[in-house]
Amino acid sequence: MKKYTLHVSGTHCASCKILIEDVLGEQDFIGKVDVNLKKQTVDVETESEKSIEDIAELLTSKIKPNGYTLSVEKITVEKTPDDVIWKAIPIGLIFLGLFFILQKSGILNFGLGGTTTPTASFIIGLIASVSSCLAVVGGLVLSLSAKISEDDVSDKKTFLLFHFGRIASFALLGGLLGLLGNAIGINFTFTAILGLLASLIMLFLGLNLMGVLSKNKITLPSGIFNFFRKVEHKTLTPLIIGFATFFLPCGFTQSMQFVALSSGSFMGGMLVMFAFALGTLPVLALLSFGSASFAHSKHAPLFFKSAGVVVVGLGLFAFIAGLAGLGIIPPLFNI
Amino acid sequence: MNKIALIILSIALVIVFAIIFSGGSKKQIISVNNVEIKDGIQYIRIDAKGGYSPAVTLAKAGIPTKLLVQTNNTFDCSAALVVRDADFQGILPQNAETEIDLGIKQAGEKVEGVCGMGMYNFEINFEV
Repeated sequence: MKKYTLHVSGTHCASCKILIEDVLGEQDFIGKVDVNLKKQTVDVETESEKSIEDIAELLTSKIKPNGYTLSVEKITVEKTPDDVIWKAIPIGLIFLGLFFILQKSGILNFGLGGTTTPTASFIIGLIASVSSCLAVVGGLVLSLSAKISEDDVSDKKTFLLFHFGRIASFALLGGLLGLLGNAIGINFTFTAILGLLASLIMLFLGLNLMGVLSKNKITLPSGIFNFFRKVEHKTLTPLIIGFATFFLPCGFTQSMQFVALSSGSFMGGMLVMFAFALGTLPVLALLSFGSASFAHSKHAPLFFKSAGVVVVGLGLFAFIAGLAGLGIIPPLFNI
Repeated sequence: MNKIALIILSIALVIVFAIIFSGGSKKQIISVNNVEIKDGIQYIRIDAKGGYSPAVTLAKAGIPTKLLVQTNNTFDCSAALVVRDADFQGILPQNAETEIDLGIKQAGEKVEGVCGMGMYNFEINFEV
């Protein structure tokens, strides 16, 4: 039994320790594994007779998919992260700018005549997914997706569960709205508070993606940390978050809820909300699966930081708008 | 790429966006004839679709006032209207005129309406 100390790079969060220890501990030639996040080292006990270089290489191949690298010598942090953030800020700003210009242009406000059929709901869903609703729902999807892809390998399954949960709950809750009618009113203050909460999560995740939080080694409050561990590792959580998006503040969603409400039947309400959720799917799926494919490419650091800038911008916007919606501060902008 | 050039680009972008959006949010009093007094009641018309129009309305103080919000295939945020001063919050029907009673306002009072997400708003100023 020999004991080696290897240097690890790519650890950016508290859950990395658990993940690395899990993966390395599964190798049969490895005994005890201990990750020290502060020193960025991994202590491993091994029965293997191989040289320390070979072991480092072999173990790196196991955790490389998760973005970690082991080395014998400490890799001095290259200058690149600095450059990446300065590239990421203009890229993120350009995307934010395009998004808000799209809102201001008014092309999303074209009318759809007459009654709200499921086809019309689907088209409204398509429009909604590129509208200012995207500030909250899309920002949340982008930040959670990027965060999950950054930490986890099984991101595709998590995304599928999220989208499934979202569409299923829209259909179910839409049906209930149609069935019960006004018995369940959706409270404005409740949605606004939920929106504020979502915007705070976006700000937090966005800063995290930009590397602002990890650079200063601010450890997460344990509650939030546990929440994200659950997001990453449990099956139920993405389903619940998908479900919760029904209540997020979004004018389009609220209008469609109203239509479902006035449909007066379970089938009518369900069809309207199902078609609407289906309409929002292409853009949201693109956001989540797009971030997954970027996350596993060589542009990953630039992508995470640019996504961080976009998410922080949208989070700030949603936060200020949410406060204005609650009447706490006067409205700052009129898009 | 050069880091300094990128920093300058970032700052330039922020300034450009600030000009675009602050310029847009500056409320101009457009003289739209949306106030009408009929049978001693003042009616104020606001269109709700992709925002509220007109954004600023001048109304007369001291007479009973009603707000008429007109939707026209409105599915966006402006359909989720909150008028705190009138204790009104609700989803407007997609194609209808909704009447909201504002009561009698004094000169200098202001009524503000905002959509549920807080991104669109309008205000009505009461004058003598």
